[in-house]
Amino acid sequence: MRVRPIRGLYLYWRFISTQIKAILEYQADFWILVVSAVLTQLMGVVFIAAVFARIPSIDGWGFWEVCFMYAMIYVTEGIGSLFFEGTWRMLRYVNMGELDRFLLRPVSPVLQMLASAVGMNGLGNITLGCALIAVSLRHVRIEWTALTVFWTAVLLLSAVAIRVAINFGSNCSAFWNKSSGNAVPLAVHNVGEFAKFPITVFSHGVQLFVSVAVPFAFVSFYPAAYLFGHEDWTRYAYFGPLAAVYAWAVAYGIYRMGLRRYESTGN
Amino acid sequence: MKGAKKYVSMAVCSMQNSLAYRFSYIMNLTSGLITLVSLFYLWKAVFRGRTEMAGFTWQEMQTYLLVTFFLGCLLSWYSEGRISGKILDGSVSLDLLKPLDFQKARFAETVGSLAIEGVVSGIMITGLLGATAGISVPHSPLVWVQFLMSTAASVMVKFGIVYMTGLICFWTTGSFGVVWARIAVTNLLSGALVPLAFLPEWLQKLAEVLPFQAIVHVPASIFLGKYSAPDAAGMIVLQFAWAAVLWMCGKWMWKGAVRQITVHGG
Repeated sequence: MRVRPIRGLYLYWRFISTQIKAILEYQADFWILVVSAVLTQLMGVVFIAAVFARIPSIDGWGFWEVCFMYAMIYVTEGIGSLFFEGTWRMLRYVNMGELDRFLLRPVSPVLQMLASAVGMNGLGNITLGCALIAVSLRHVRIEWTALTVFWTAVLLLSAVAIRVAINFGSNCSAFWNKSSGNAVPLAVHNVGEFAKFPITVFSHGVQLFVSVAVPFAFVSFYPAAYLFGHEDWTRYAYFGPLAAVYAWAVAYGIYRMGLRRYESTGN
Repeated sequence: MKGAKKYVSMAVCSMQNSLAYRFSYIMNLTSGLITLVSLFYLWKAVFRGRTEMAGFTWQEMQTYLLVTFFLGCLLSWYSEGRISGKILDGSVSLDLLKPLDFQKARFAETVGSLAIEGVVSGIMITGLLGATAGISVPHSPLVWVQFLMSTAASVMVKFGIVYMTGLICFWTTGSFGVVWARIAVTNLLSGALVPLAFLPEWLQKLAEVLPFQAIVHVPASIFLGKYSAPDAAGMIVLQFAWAAVLWMCGKWMWKGAVRQITVHGG
C-alpha cells in the first residue's frame, strides 16, 4: 500500500474530530474526566513537594527538575489519551472481532485504531503538565540558542512518539491474551513510575530496563538531563529520536505478529 | 443468621472467580510491585545520609511501604470495577430482581475476592521481608491482634467509599473519571501516597477529620507501634464507627441512585 502522509493526516483529523464531538455530548463526563486527571497529577506534585520540603535535592536533582520529569510523563500520557486513546481499545477490537471493520476499509488499520477513541482526561493532563513544565523551565537558567530550541523540540516529539509506541505495543498483547482485562498494558504503563524520578536513584538493572527495554527514560529523564545540563547523562539524551524509531519498530513488529494470529469472531 | 447463607455463597463464588482470572490478578499485582519498588528506591535515596524524617527512620519507612502495599492489595481494582460495571452495563437491573440487598451482595463479593487477595499478597510480603533486611516487625501479640482488627476495619471503610463512588455511575456514563478521582483523593488523605506526617499541617488536620485515614494511616501506625495500646484501641473504634457511617450513607445513596436507572430494553 502506498503511504500518503497528507491524506493520512486528513483522515486522522476527520476521525478524531468525530470522536471529540461524540464525547462532548456528555458534558458531565467530560468535566469529571478532566478534573480527575488534574487531581491525579496534582497528587504527585504534592508528593514531590512533601519530599522536597524536607530535603533540598535527591541525588543532585532539585525540586523543579523532578517536577519537569514528572510533568513530562503526564503530558505525554495526556497526548496519548487525547489523540491516541484508541490504543487502549485494542483488547475490545480483537476480542469482539471489531478489528474486521478496520481491516476491510481501504485505510491503514493502525491509523483507524489510533483515531478510534478520545480520552478527555488527556486534556486535564496536558493543561496541568504544560503549566508545570513552563514553570519549572523558568526556574533554571537555560541559554536558548537555535540549537537548543531545535533539540528540545526533537526530544519532546520523540518523547511523545515513544509514549504512544509503548501504549500501542503493549496493548497488542490483546492478540495473545483472551481475558477481559487490560492487565498487561497496565503493568507496562506502570513501568513509567520509574521515569517520574531521576533514574539515578534506581539500580543499574532498572536504569537499563527503562532506557532500553521499555524506553520510558527517554520520555522524561533524558530530556530533563539535556535541558537542565546534567553533564553525565546529556550525551545519552541525543539517542531520543533513535529510541522513538526503535520503539515504533518494536511496537509495529508486535502488531504484525499479533495480526497473523488474529482470527475473526465470525459475525 | 438464616439470611446470611446466600451472601456466604456469593462470597465463595466471587472467590472462585478471582481464581479463574488469576493471570489478570497476577499482572495487577505486578503493577503494584513496580510502584512499590520505585518508591523503595526513591525513599532510599531520600533517606541517604539521614537517620530520621518526620518521625520516620528508614527502617520504619520500609515497613510503612510494605504495609501500604499490603493494604492496597486488599480490595483491588477488580472489586471496584465490578460495582460500577454492573451499573454501567445495566446488569444492575437483574440484581434488582433478586431477593438480595445490593449493598450486602457487593460486600459479600468483595470479601470473597479479598480472601484470595489477602493470602497472595501476604505470601508476597513474606517473600519481600526475606529480601529486604531490617524491617521492623512488631513483637507484641497484642499489636498483631490490633493490626488485624484495624485491617478488617480498613477494608470496611474502603468498601464504603468505593461503593458510594460506584453508585455515582448511575449519574454518569463512564466510570474511569470517577474512579480516578476517588483514587487520587483516597491516596492522598489515607496516607498511601506519603505518610500523613510528611504533609503540611492543614492537610494533616483535614485528614484527621475525614474517614480516609482509617484505610492506611491507622493500621500502618498501629503496625509500627506509633500508638500506645489504649490509643490504638480508640483508633480502631473510630475506624469501625466510620465504617458504619459510610455503610449508612451508602444505603441512603442507593435509595436515591436507583431512581436514576435507565435500562435499554433487554
